[in-house]
Amino acid sequence: MTACRSFPIFALLFALALSIFPLEVCAADAGEAALAIERAEEIVVSCYQVVLEAESAGGDVSSLLARLNEAGGLLAQAHILYRLEDFDGAARFADVCSQIGEEVRVEAYGFRSLAVEKAVQRFRWTMIGSILSVIIIIVASFLGWHIFKSRYCRRILRMNPEVISDES
Amino acid sequence: MNLEDYRTLFAVVGLVLTLIAAVPMLSMVVAFPGGGERFSEFWVLGPNHMAEDYPFNAIVNEIYRVFVGVGNHMGRSTYYMVYVKLRNQTQPLPDASSSEPSPLPPIYEFRAFVEDSATWEAPLNFSFLEVSHFENSCLVRRMSINDVIFSVDSSSRWDSENNGFYYQLFFELWLYDVKLRSFQFHARFVGIWLNVTGS
Repeated sequence: MTACRSFPIFALLFALALSIFPLEVCAADAGEAALAIERAEEIVVSCYQVVLEAESAGGDVSSLLARLNEAGGLLAQAHILYRLEDFDGAARFADVCSQIGEEVRVEAYGFRSLAVEKAVQRFRWTMIGSILSVIIIIVASFLGWHIFKSRYCRRILRMNPEVISDES
Repeated sequence: MNLEDYRTLFAVVGLVLTLIAAVPMLSMVVAFPGGGERFSEFWVLGPNHMAEDYPFNAIVNEIYRVFVGVGNHMGRSTYYMVYVKLRNQTQPLPDASSSEPSPLPPIYEFRAFVEDSATWEAPLNFSFLEVSHFENSCLVRRMSINDVIFSVDSSSRWDSENNGFYYQLFFELWLYDVKLRSFQFHARFVGIWLNVTGS
């Protein structure tokens, strides 16, 4: 009798749970997908900034951009699926994008350090070479001038004065 | 030539050589302006990778192909986004002069990182999946872009001048602004007209 009486209550609770639960799952999925996309977006953008720094330091960033393109494609797919309310798909694409982005970011940081180091070395050697060249040219010009001047004066002094008679 | 002339000659030659030797150093210290105009190319090509044979008379369930491309001349690697949108003849286009994008929602998007002086291109396969025709109006309910199906629900009135129900599939170019930390409309768009009269 007790079981029979409590059955409608359980049935009602079960029906209520069924009606509420899927809504909660959908809402959580949408939020999770949005968070995953936001995280992927941040990672991709931070990678892009590091790549720009490496590029301005003179590094060849072609390989990094190829990987970033892969991540960008996945991020676009995540956005498309999110707009279509396929939140699972969107989160999945965003997560793969984040993974690739993280790998690229690690690679990009190493790349940037190497590019900056090379740029500093290049700057140092260019400065040293240039300054040395300027000094050498200035010293050589002075020395050259003094040698030329002394030879010129000697040549002038060695000249014998000649009197040309005025026959007219 | 007297001694004074020789001295002047030595000074000039020395100065010129000094300047030539200092050029690498100066180029690293002094920032020279210019570097040319910075811009992006944006194009849509037909199925044969040429600016011809663009799809025009669209038939339901028929797959059409175009290519969207971007050329980067911004002086550095750039992060681009291309929005794909569909409009009828009365809906607004982007305003390139005021850099205002079209207020229509994007259907599809591409994202690409393009190196300076390099190009990027992607195929776009599309088809109209569900189209209803009434007396003098047409309703595109669903379309497919690169194998993804979208609800579009876009209606168009009969164009009696050109005899057709016309839609424009257009592409907006956006680029990522590092300072603003967001995508900005790059004031460039291209599109193709489609006559969705046949079914």
